[in-house]
Amino acid sequence: MANRRVLVKRRKAVRNIRKITRTMQLIATARFQAALTRATASKPYTEKLAQLVGDLSEVAGDVDHPLLSTPEDTSKSAMIVITSDRGLCGGYNGNVLRSTLAHLDQQNEAGVETAVHMVGKKGNSYFRFLDRPIAEPILHLSDTPRFEEIEPIANAMIERFTKGEIASLHVGYMKFHSVGRQRPEVVQLLPMVREEAEGDESHSAGARPDYEFSPPPAELLDELLPATVRIRLFQCFIEANVSEHIGRMVAMKAATDAAGDMISTLTRQYNRARQTQITMELLDIVGGANALA
Amino acid sequence: MAKSDTFNCTVITPEAAVLDCDATSVAFPAHDGEMGILNHRAPLICRMGIGTLRIEGPDGPHRFFVDGGFAQVVENRLTLLTEQAKTIDELDGEKAAEALVEAKAMKITDDTSYTARDRALQRAQVQLKLVKRG
Repeated sequence: MANRRVLVKRRKAVRNIRKITRTMQLIATARFQAALTRATASKPYTEKLAQLVGDLSEVAGDVDHPLLSTPEDTSKSAMIVITSDRGLCGGYNGNVLRSTLAHLDQQNEAGVETAVHMVGKKGNSYFRFLDRPIAEPILHLSDTPRFEEIEPIANAMIERFTKGEIASLHVGYMKFHSVGRQRPEVVQLLPMVREEAEGDESHSAGARPDYEFSPPPAELLDELLPATVRIRLFQCFIEANVSEHIGRMVAMKAATDAAGDMISTLTRQYNRARQTQITMELLDIVGGANALA
Repeated sequence: MAKSDTFNCTVITPEAAVLDCDATSVAFPAHDGEMGILNHRAPLICRMGIGTLRIEGPDGPHRFFVDGGFAQVVENRLTLLTEQAKTIDELDGEKAAEALVEAKAMKITDDTSYTARDRALQRAQVQLKLVKRG
């Protein structure tokens, strides 16, 4: 008797959970679509900027720009880690944090002190749990990263780098390759690594137009390189955002499916329990009747 | 095509491609003053300053507030890369007025703070002017 009621109660609870996870899955899907659109919308700017840098550096020759060279004092570096504010997104935060910790250990071994700038509640609470120092928690960002929000972060980092306070800047985030594939990655933003392979080769196949420059190429690069750093950081944030929603979508889909499986198991158990009970009652009645006869 | 007097003009920000249209003439704020572009201009890469971007074309004039960035002309295509491009409707007059007061209050201690104040002032003034004109 008691067993049956327990089963009904559990089944109801699982049903409720399934309702919630399904809703979350739908929301994540919608958000993912929006985030993906934003990510694709930011691509033209990045590509065009990379092309400009390519065109310019060819004209300007080997430029010695502060953002391209490593400062003498390499004992300090900084790292921006992008995690989410909310959980229930599968291995998203765990994977990012694991690759971050691996990078930090590696830096430690090399004798480089790394200041961690942690984006997102999840990462912050995890580092607090580990008792690891956080240089600066970044928590005020909105759900959809906007360029205006990322720009000050990038500018601050560029300034610290040019002053020589940090020797390098890395970003740890979940890189978005495709809907089915996201990988945690630690990329180096500063000093800048040249990405000449990207789109640049195809462009140089044709004759490069004979540009008129205003101001001279070297001065233009002075502005272009920081802009490139800013957009790269922005891209990291956008891609992390897309990956987060995919992570949540997948996790919630799995949860919904698992809840469905559980409901059918519970239903089966319930039916069996009910059947057993009826049989028992019948046996009781028949037994009683037999005893009287 | 060769006879046409229009060229392609795109305005791109980090968040989106704001505008992609044909234009007969474009005037944008270059770093050292306003620059006008007509069709078949020689290839150019230019740094932009703060100011108003005016685009005249078959589908009507467009106006934007732009804050820095780069302009590129190649093969009769003008590409404007800017971190901020706002239409007049998107501008907030009150905010700009506040920013102007703030900018005026900024202290000048060295060269960098001087340029920072200068830029902030200019940004606020241009926005205010645009809003007033409507």
